[in-house]
Amino acid sequence: MLSEKITDMKKQCEHQGDCMQLIQRILDKEATPEEEAMFLNKKEQCLPCKDGFELEQSLKKAIKEKCISKCPDELFKSIKAKLFILLAIISILIPLFCDQNK
Amino acid sequence: MSDISFFFVWINICKIISTLYLKRKVLMETPVEELSIEEKNIAPEKAKAIFEKEFMPHLDAMYNFALRLTNDEDDAQDLVQDTCLKAYRFAGSFEPGTYAKAWLFRILRNNFINDYRKKSRGPSKVEFEWVEQAYVGEEDAEPAFQADLKAETVNDMMGDEITKAIQALPVDFRMIIILCDLEDFSYEEMAKILNIPIGTVRSRLHRARAILKDTLADYARKRGYVADTLSEDGTIF
Repeated sequence: MLSEKITDMKKQCEHQGDCMQLIQRILDKEATPEEEAMFLNKKEQCLPCKDGFELEQSLKKAIKEKCISKCPDELFKSIKAKLFILLAIISILIPLFCDQNK
Repeated sequence: MSDISFFFVWINICKIISTLYLKRKVLMETPVEELSIEEKNIAPEKAKAIFEKEFMPHLDAMYNFALRLTNDEDDAQDLVQDTCLKAYRFAGSFEPGTYAKAWLFRILRNNFINDYRKKSRGPSKVEFEWVEQAYVGEEDAEPAFQADLKAETVNDMMGDEITKAIQALPVDFRMIIILCDLEDFSYEEMAKILNIPIGTVRSRLHRARAILKDTLADYARKRGYVADTLSEDGTIF
């Protein structure tokens, strides 16, 4: 059934460059609903577009899943400590200057 | 002069010197585009509250972006710290309700370009320009090649192959892929973060993905991911 469907599909896409750009805009949520609907309909009849869509989708998913790094705890603590010191210095020095100006 | 008076004089001298130094540093080192972020004075407690509520939740994303840019954990930590301190300094000009993450990423990117890229272990500007020229077509942004890569091959790949392929990209291409695919910024937000027109965002992203797919196809061939399909004509990879 699936192979029959594939044999019915176009093997060449005459607008492959434009279609690839449209696929990326669809996956980036930058395409209009009309563009998206038109492409999703076309995808079922064009093998290069279907393959291209699946490839871009997989690539985006792989990047999202595999390129994540968590901020080290030491960095988190260090930033908080530096801000605390900065805040303490400001809180001590500003009243000091204000008192002196009076 | 009493000890107390001497102490106040000394403090005042230090204050004047540090003010002059900071102003000089801001003017000399802050990029022109960043000077558009106005430094407004607010109470330190208010700045701290903005920082903790609006900025801290994005620390993981900032570190991840910094790590992808620098390809080095220590450099990434320094870059995030500098960005946080700068964000704290400019907290008065942050408008609550606007997208804090995009605001922070813009500061981080500017910091990276100005301070870290100079000493970066990554590709140089010359290399990037070469790649830009190599991939810029006449009018259409579509590169000359179409990578021989299938969705199943990408699905089968281990994480380190994807991260290595991203690390191998020139930094401007790497930056745009991370902003779009990992952080889900819109084209308009990316244009603001990178300070480039939306058209350039679109074409640069397209080229970046084309190079990425080409690199992954190359990995796949070398590692035998596509051996079954390519062995029909007897070619061994």
